[in-house]
Amino acid sequence: MYPYSYDATEAKAHMPDFIVIPQERAQLIDLVKFCNQYIIPIVPYISGNNIGGLCIPERGGIIVDFGKKMNKILHVNEETMYAVLEPGVTFGQLKQYLDENYPNLRYSYPFAPPSAGVVGNVLLSGMNSMSAKIGSMADSINGLEVITADGEIVRIGSCFYGDGESDLDSWYCRYPMPDLMGLFVNWQGMTGLVTKCAVQLWQNLPYQKHSAALVFGMREVAKVLREIGKSEVVDDATMFCIESIKMMFEDYKTKKFPGEPDFAVLMPISAKTEKMLEAKEEILENTLKKLNEEGIKVIGIDLGEFSQLFSLRTRCAIDLPSVVLPIYVSSGLTWFGSYAPAHKLEELIEKTDEIYHKHNFSPMIYGKTMKSGHYAVFRLMANYNKYEEQEEVKELMNEIAEVCIDAGCIPYKTPIWLTEKLRRKINPGWLNLFEKVKKMMDPNNIFNPGRWNFNY
Amino acid sequence: MVEVDESLVGKEFLKLAFEHCIKCGTCKMGYKSFKPSCPSGEKFLFESYWASGRIRTAIGILLEELQWSEELKNSIFACTTCGACMDSCQAPHAHYIVDIIESLRELAVQNIGPGPNQENLVERTNNPEMWNPYGVPNSTNAELKEKYNLPDKAEWVYYIGCTSNYRQTKIRDATIRLLKRAGINFTLIDEHCCTSPMLRTGQISSARDFMNYNIEKIKEVGADKLVTSCAGCYRTFIKDFEKHGANFDFEVYHTVELLKDLLDSGKMKIKSKYNKTITYHDPCHLGRHMGIYEIPREIYKQIPGVKLVEMKRNRNFAWCCGAGGGVKIGYPEWALEVSNERLAHAREVGAEVISSVCPFCRTNLSDANENYNGGFEILDLLEILDTLDIEFK
Repeated sequence: MYPYSYDATEAKAHMPDFIVIPQERAQLIDLVKFCNQYIIPIVPYISGNNIGGLCIPERGGIIVDFGKKMNKILHVNEETMYAVLEPGVTFGQLKQYLDENYPNLRYSYPFAPPSAGVVGNVLLSGMNSMSAKIGSMADSINGLEVITADGEIVRIGSCFYGDGESDLDSWYCRYPMPDLMGLFVNWQGMTGLVTKCAVQLWQNLPYQKHSAALVFGMREVAKVLREIGKSEVVDDATMFCIESIKMMFEDYKTKKFPGEPDFAVLMPISAKTEKMLEAKEEILENTLKKLNEEGIKVIGIDLGEFSQLFSLRTRCAIDLPSVVLPIYVSSGLTWFGSYAPAHKLEELIEKTDEIYHKHNFSPMIYGKTMKSGHYAVFRLMANYNKYEEQEEVKELMNEIAEVCIDAGCIPYKTPIWLTEKLRRKINPGWLNLFEKVKKMMDPNNIFNPGRWNFNY
Repeated sequence: MVEVDESLVGKEFLKLAFEHCIKCGTCKMGYKSFKPSCPSGEKFLFESYWASGRIRTAIGILLEELQWSEELKNSIFACTTCGACMDSCQAPHAHYIVDIIESLRELAVQNIGPGPNQENLVERTNNPEMWNPYGVPNSTNAELKEKYNLPDKAEWVYYIGCTSNYRQTKIRDATIRLLKRAGINFTLIDEHCCTSPMLRTGQISSARDFMNYNIEKIKEVGADKLVTSCAGCYRTFIKDFEKHGANFDFEVYHTVELLKDLLDSGKMKIKSKYNKTITYHDPCHLGRHMGIYEIPREIYKQIPGVKLVEMKRNRNFAWCCGAGGGVKIGYPEWALEVSNERLAHAREVGAEVISSVCPFCRTNLSDANENYNGGFEILDLLEILDTLDIEFK
């Protein structure tokens, strides 16, 4: 059980009392009823690499490990492009399954290891490689099947008709009923146990290319990211500070030297035809040209060619799902990950870069433009030695969180130390409603207790 | 930094456990194949049975967050050390994962004893009547030397290895015949176990003595080259002797390397046909551990009539035969289950013969073939060559 007691972050380890590896829903219904009767905590687990301490059993109890047996791809609807998944399906598994069986379809992958869970990612509003088009992964959920605290099965989304098993071809969309999905999305397993999830798939377009923009200037990259997002031609645009890129090749204690670009923005582009690809590239080139004319030094490169010429290690950011090498170099990894106001990125980048240097950590500043530039994702990560730099990294993250929250960033996959901070900043009406919903959904506080500092 | 007992051979690897692993789980599936990589994890499922779980177990023990108990034994010893996790992992410690696991075993043996039945391997090997893990009287190889008229001094030593000498004797005999026919100036020594079973199971207390003994015997016959037909012995001589401070100055070859040289230089030509569909099983100790994938394949391809087919899982993605790491003796039923999966892979591609270049793989694949009525011929490459008309120049 010991390997289930911790994760990569600075979150305090805590041992579970039991690990349950379920095979089917019926077992889980019995388990939930039993746990609700005897008030035993239930913590959902797929692969445990959420970087938020979310699967650490704060109050002991049972870890339900979905990753080992409840990991079937139940259905793919080719016509309306979605897949119905059990909770344990991983990105690697889905990628392999689609490539072998539905090569015309693709999923969208985050910068996470192939062993990470698809359903956990969507339920926690994770990132993906098409964020510039589709936004948060939570928006791509078509439907859920959930076991609630009383052991009842609930189906949400277009699959909600009928009292027996759902027709797997009925999971085609989420709306227009009252959106009960909100009772489960972003709740970190605190309101029920998800047993099925339908996620949207997309056409696997035949023309794909990876471009990158090298940006000189800390503040300037913010505008570059916004403008690329608004150009609406890229699938995704992710900015990485130069220090974090260097971690692909070196130790995690990296430095920026004078004359080097401050950021690189990675941009996958896809198209149905060669002409469409050329047109998209032309729009992107013009966007970068205009930025240069405005005095921002930005250089566009073909990332595919770059990787061939200089280092295949950079392909870890292209051939997704993949381990993204900069975040797997040390024994500890933590972050402040947030949805951010894109118009405040300049201020956020400058301030957080200063904090990294103040605490002697190499900056790992990362951001995305979301859904055609409507908002951004801003993540501040830290590689650290889990056994020697625990306190230092806590101070770093605490200061980063203060600055980012004050600027209006909204953290996601929030660890407990952060939800405690958030509770002091969120309006009381929201918190009261939040608590009422939690108590209504989980009167005995059996679902992942301790998260969001609920004490009842 | 945590203190590690400096007397442990694997102390540096145990320290390395603290450096890089964040339990990202990349070790669980083949890199870019996204297929399951770990026979142990796939069987026992709990996190402690995957590489990252074992690394965490080592950390927990050293931090004293975990106490030694019999309950830890299975998660520590039910692993074939096949190295598929090393191939999958992309973190800086990837290459050393098996070393970390073996070092954890070294520590475990001191605290809770060896894995199930694994003490037998070493008790037998340390027995002066035996010097091998199979519990049979030691062969000085004097009879073989006499039978094949081998000299006392020679340029090469054929190091037979215990499995070929006491179980898969057809491989031994085929190798000796081939070396003779090729005109290689070689001899045999009164060899003792290469120590692979000791090292793989963490029972290393007498390993250094065995290494030094074998080095001394090789020196005595004046050889400057060693060839072995065992992937396990090959890995042990090249990788482990140095780790244990047993240094030598002779060259070490696997039989396939020598054969490839003979074929490439035109000194050996295979004349007759072998009209069968063969699939090659990559032994973990030769493939993932030593990086030799193509040489054996090139030899099969030079056998007239052979149709060489690849299992879907081949080379660095190859599924383990299930025997290594002390699993064959410690978890015999599971060892066969793992091997049975390999038979299924061979069946998928229509192979008649599953061939390898490791006597221990041959043993376990043959046992599974018999146990599950696999219907294959399981043969070492040398056994196949032994049946063919070969011209040597």
